[in-house]
Amino acid sequence: MPDQCPRAFDETMLSGHLDGELTQSAEQKVTIHLEDCAHCRGLLADLQTIREATMSTEFSRPDDDQWDERPRSSTSFLARGTGWVLALVWLAAVGGYGLWQFWQSSANLFERLLVFGGLSALALLFTSVALDRITASRTDRYREVER
Amino acid sequence: MTSRQPVPAAVAVDLPAESQTVVLAQRGETAALDELARSCRQQAYVFALQLIGNPDDALDVAQDAMLRFFRSLGRFDSTRPVRPWLLRIVRNLIRDRARRNRIRRTESLEPADDDALRFEPRDDSPDPEALAERHQLQRLVWECLQELPPQYRETLVLRDYQDLAYAEIASTLSIPRGTVMSRLHRARRLLHDLVRDKQRSTGEVRDA
Repeated sequence: MPDQCPRAFDETMLSGHLDGELTQSAEQKVTIHLEDCAHCRGLLADLQTIREATMSTEFSRPDDDQWDERPRSSTSFLARGTGWVLALVWLAAVGGYGLWQFWQSSANLFERLLVFGGLSALALLFTSVALDRITASRTDRYREVER
Repeated sequence: MTSRQPVPAAVAVDLPAESQTVVLAQRGETAALDELARSCRQQAYVFALQLIGNPDDALDVAQDAMLRFFRSLGRFDSTRPVRPWLLRIVRNLIRDRARRNRIRRTESLEPADDDALRFEPRDDSPDPEALAERHQLQRLVWECLQELPPQYRETLVLRDYQDLAYAEIASTLSIPRGTVMSRLHRARRLLHDLVRDKQRSTGEVRDA
């Protein structure tokens, strides 16, 4: 079979014919052409076979538990954010008050420096980890998704 | 990882009911939002799978598409069908990924996954030989589809796997209707030639 229709015919119309997307006059043109053209009849039959194969193909799909839930509502997002801010304010206030009380206590300078040095180291470590987490969460594509 | 439940390539949609669901979802009704999520995510996944060929990547793209879908749901015109819009999101995400990775699917290291297909008899008493032949052709067409250039593959997938009309394909791809028909025919010719060449190489058909 030659690769192209030997006559002056727009082969593209075969696809329109196959899909039922042609106008009535174009449809008529194709029908008349097909009566006389063995090449286009053969091609149309082949295309139809392939189309039937594609249209009858079925695909597997993921289990429901593989899907992330839809993004949570803005209300719960706001509540969670406010909760975090209040918790951090509370931690800073209570922690600050405790440290002030300790500094005012009767412990000597060496003891005070020992305690403050350790706490400062822990605070620095916590801050660096928190900053890393915040940076990561800003670039996380799934940050608005509950798992 | 993936279950083997069949999912139809095309999903018939009752437009007024869908439009109502979209309006309710835009108002923040949880039930409507959940319903949209359930119905759209499978469509997004199957379309992504048909374009990429790999189930894991398809799931990744579908998850991203659902995020983007819900983020822009408020701006969506509820009188229009959801499906072309959803499929456009998926298609754009896949294009973005390809651009980012600077590879095209045909050059990807991941081969088309045969595991993505589901073979089950549709009729109760199928002729085993005819059934085996059909599955063989489906598998071959699926393999050849992955070798098509992206613009042809997406047009063919939208028409023959997703069963979209030309007007819907034109809207999804933002191209004129005439271009849909010519691109589709070019895609079908390429696919036809690839299938024929593979059948010849395996001795299934003889040269004319």
